[in-house]
Amino acid sequence: MGREGYLGEFEQMLLLAAMRLEDEAYGVTLMRELESRVGRSVSRGSVYVTLDRLEDKGWIASEISSSRPERAGRPRRIIRVTREGVAALQKSRAALLILWDGLEDALDAR
Amino acid sequence: MSEHMDPPRIAVRLLEASLPPTQEGESILGDLYEEFGQRAQHSPWAARLWYTRTVIGVAIRYTGQARKYKRHQAHLGVDARATWEGFVDSFVFSIRYAFRRLMRSPAFTLVAIVSLGLGIGANTAMFSLVNAIVIRDTPYENPETLVDVYIAQEGFSHATLSYPDYLSVLEGSTDVFEAVEGFQVALLQADTEDGVETMLAEAVTGNYLSVLGIQPVIGRLFTDEDHVSPGAHPVVVLGHGYWQRRFAADPGVIGEQLRLSGRQYTIIGVAPEEYAGSLRGFVPDAFVPIMMVDELQGTGGNTFEARGNQSFFPRARLYPGATMAQAEAAMARLSGELREQYPRFWQESDSFVLVRTADVIMNPMIDRIIKPAAGMIMVVVGLVLLIACANLASFLLARAADRRKEIAVRLAMGAKRRNLIGQLLTETVLLSAVGGLLGVAIAVQSLRWLVNADLPLPLPITLDLSLDQTVLGFSVLVSIIAGVLFGLVPALQSTNPDVAPTLRDETAGGGRAKGAALRNLLVVGQVSVSVVLLVGAGLFLRSLDASRHVSAGFGDEPTGLIEINAPTQKYTDEEAALFFEQLKQRFSQIPGVQSVGYIDNLHLNPLNTQYVRLAIDGVEPPPGADFFTIDYADIDDGFLDAAGVPLVAGRAFNPSDVADGEPVALVSEAFVSRFFPGGGAVGSTIVINDDATRVVGITADTRVRNLGETPRPFIYFSQRQSFSSYGTFLARADGDAGAVALEMMSIARALDPEIIVLGSKTMQRHLGAQLVARQLGAGVVSGFALLALFLASIGLYGVVSYAVSRRTHEVGIRLSLGADATSVMWMLTRDGMKLVAMGGVVGLLIAAGLSQLLSRLLYGVPVLDPLTFLLVPLMLGTVALAASWIPALRVTRIDPVGALRAE
Repeated sequence: MGREGYLGEFEQMLLLAAMRLEDEAYGVTLMRELESRVGRSVSRGSVYVTLDRLEDKGWIASEISSSRPERAGRPRRIIRVTREGVAALQKSRAALLILWDGLEDALDAR
Repeated sequence: MSEHMDPPRIAVRLLEASLPPTQEGESILGDLYEEFGQRAQHSPWAARLWYTRTVIGVAIRYTGQARKYKRHQAHLGVDARATWEGFVDSFVFSIRYAFRRLMRSPAFTLVAIVSLGLGIGANTAMFSLVNAIVIRDTPYENPETLVDVYIAQEGFSHATLSYPDYLSVLEGSTDVFEAVEGFQVALLQADTEDGVETMLAEAVTGNYLSVLGIQPVIGRLFTDEDHVSPGAHPVVVLGHGYWQRRFAADPGVIGEQLRLSGRQYTIIGVAPEEYAGSLRGFVPDAFVPIMMVDELQGTGGNTFEARGNQSFFPRARLYPGATMAQAEAAMARLSGELREQYPRFWQESDSFVLVRTADVIMNPMIDRIIKPAAGMIMVVVGLVLLIACANLASFLLARAADRRKEIAVRLAMGAKRRNLIGQLLTETVLLSAVGGLLGVAIAVQSLRWLVNADLPLPLPITLDLSLDQTVLGFSVLVSIIAGVLFGLVPALQSTNPDVAPTLRDETAGGGRAKGAALRNLLVVGQVSVSVVLLVGAGLFLRSLDASRHVSAGFGDEPTGLIEINAPTQKYTDEEAALFFEQLKQRFSQIPGVQSVGYIDNLHLNPLNTQYVRLAIDGVEPPPGADFFTIDYADIDDGFLDAAGVPLVAGRAFNPSDVADGEPVALVSEAFVSRFFPGGGAVGSTIVINDDATRVVGITADTRVRNLGETPRPFIYFSQRQSFSSYGTFLARADGDAGAVALEMMSIARALDPEIIVLGSKTMQRHLGAQLVARQLGAGVVSGFALLALFLASIGLYGVVSYAVSRRTHEVGIRLSLGADATSVMWMLTRDGMKLVAMGGVVGLLIAAGLSQLLSRLLYGVPVLDPLTFLLVPLMLGTVALAASWIPALRVTRIDPVGALRAE
């Protein structure tokens, strides 16, 4: 689609969660990471659709790994954030930090 | 939860279908499966709910989100790709679109769904019931070679055998039967942590379970070793349900002791869950060796010698290759031998009858009522479903007519007819699927209600009323067929490619839609089916009413009952008699109790009839016999007063009737008119079982075997002369009979904790057991008939209100020309009522024809009962008038000018 630019909020959250989980990032752990840290329930459907989009853009790479008994023989799709993904995160963070600058007090005061 | 649970299969299928068949898709399945497993550990139910919800979310998001632009094309019906993705896309989209369309007219949708839900729910519930009673098979090994053995006797086409008869069959049929097993029903008294409880058991021969091919869940089942001599085998096999209920399915129960009727029994095994006993509906809590039956029952009976004691249900296994005809020939030969050997018990007309076990539901005599009743219920609910489907069809036709313009526009813009039909079909199928879901929910709820209903039955009935695959499949099939069938016609009609006339036509307004005639026909059909059902309901209600007003001839006043057995191991007859006197003494002290009595076998006991041989000098015995068989009971001096049976002539029993004195008897009025039509009964001598007995009095008639019977000759003997340690105490009271019955129970238990109390209830409940079948019949049929009337009224309402909306223009003209609103309303209502009148006449004619079929199920009411045939049309007319008047009322709100300008 050739859409360049900044990451969406949900995309950022997913990428960050995947980085935190290192080698253990796949559907279930990502969901748990997001829900436990952010404290908000996540739609499974959006997660999978977003992961597909992130992979299309080349920001994550995924690799199919062997199954475990608790998954009834289904494989796991392990997510890894690519170098491009990290770059996109940095770009977004920088942009946000610039925009945030000087507003912390105003928002905190509320 | 030691076992791992699986997510709902339907949801898994849906997910599989909506995900691409790639490794990525697989991984999503795995993720949700894994998370389901974690959640299921906390709450399996919540986990299943979560899984289903999540799957729906993922299915919609995953397939919908990524391919937005394709959706638009599918929407217009211009491009439906033949690819898998395209299919899923347009499918999911179709459903969402259909959902939105349906929500746009919530009233229509609600009515359609509720109609279908009620129709499908009624069908599913009743089909489950019929399935549980009539269809579901018992898991016997090679059922085709199993045969039930009965005796055909006067008055009983399929009577059970005595144990000695069973032995005769066993010995005399070795050439055709590989094995013969059997059982009898026994009520046991089991000690529990908090008192005693009555258990329903099957007392079985050693080979019973192995001949049927039943395997234990744990432990072992009986063998021939457990079938050697009376009283020598204190072992018990638990029924699966009882094992779960009382022992929480603990596998450690094997070897434990269970105290039954005062003796320790060792638990040796547990029967499998699929095996719910031999009499459908009566699920045994335990199985015990038949050799223990006399001891367990404590009746002092001699099951193993008494040829007259017919409580035994034998079943035989044919030799491989042996035919029914051979077996029947062998049994006919044996019947002849027994008639010769035991003329006492085997009368001229008696003979063995064989019926294939697979063809028997409970007992061929009971089956004769169950099968037509089941058939009738299925017909009734089938008709209800028909009405519901007619509603659906009628609404869809109306809607299709309303949407002609929209569809014409879409066709004109190049949408393919195939896609539009698909879209319309999706809508109906979605409707019927939701209706089907609602139906299943209604069915589950009503079955739950049915299972928990407290019916005054003589024995607890346990039916497995869970929805099984057959039932669920049936409902799903019905919903889908209904959807496709009733969606297709309107869809085809409204997408008729002849677009231009429609576009032109629709703007003109007043023209009648093509579907109108069809809709009218549907209403006529609905009304006539409702009339048929209402007439059926009316007849059943009248029949119930008639049998309610039949007096049993006893027990009209509030009376507490307790059925007691003084075990013969513990009590001699003298001790038992003394104990009974004590009991009566205590019962008479209960506040409010006016009279106390005792009878060994209370009239209208559906589980037991007993009779004696009677000979009277100068009265010719029935052909082929030396004696009459007459029903009897042993009573004490207080019974007639306590039960409210009037003495008509002579005297009642009194203390002068001593055990070794002259045998005396009381006879009923029917007895007198049968045997002493010329009078002179009191003081005469009759021969009972070879003993000369003097008739000292005449009592009024009571119903003995069932409420519907014509009064039959009956004899009472004095308890003092013929003692039974097993019987029913009655306490007539001027207050709450239920409280008295409870008090009797606690008195009996307090006086002797080991006494076997077989039950305590009120007289009302005892008599109620006679009415329960009629009550259920009347309740079920009238419930469904009202449902049908309700659904038909909705249909009528729909037709009239549609007609009103179509004729707004015309009504506007009439009103503006000065027509009176009331007369316009009548005009609109009249059309609806015409349909009702037609349907009513057709329905009454059909009902008059069909009611002949009900004659066997009705009591005390003619099949062409004038009251029923008068009230039904009246009721129908009233409801129909309301259903067509309400929508017609709308014309009064029509603003004539606005109505004209709208065009």
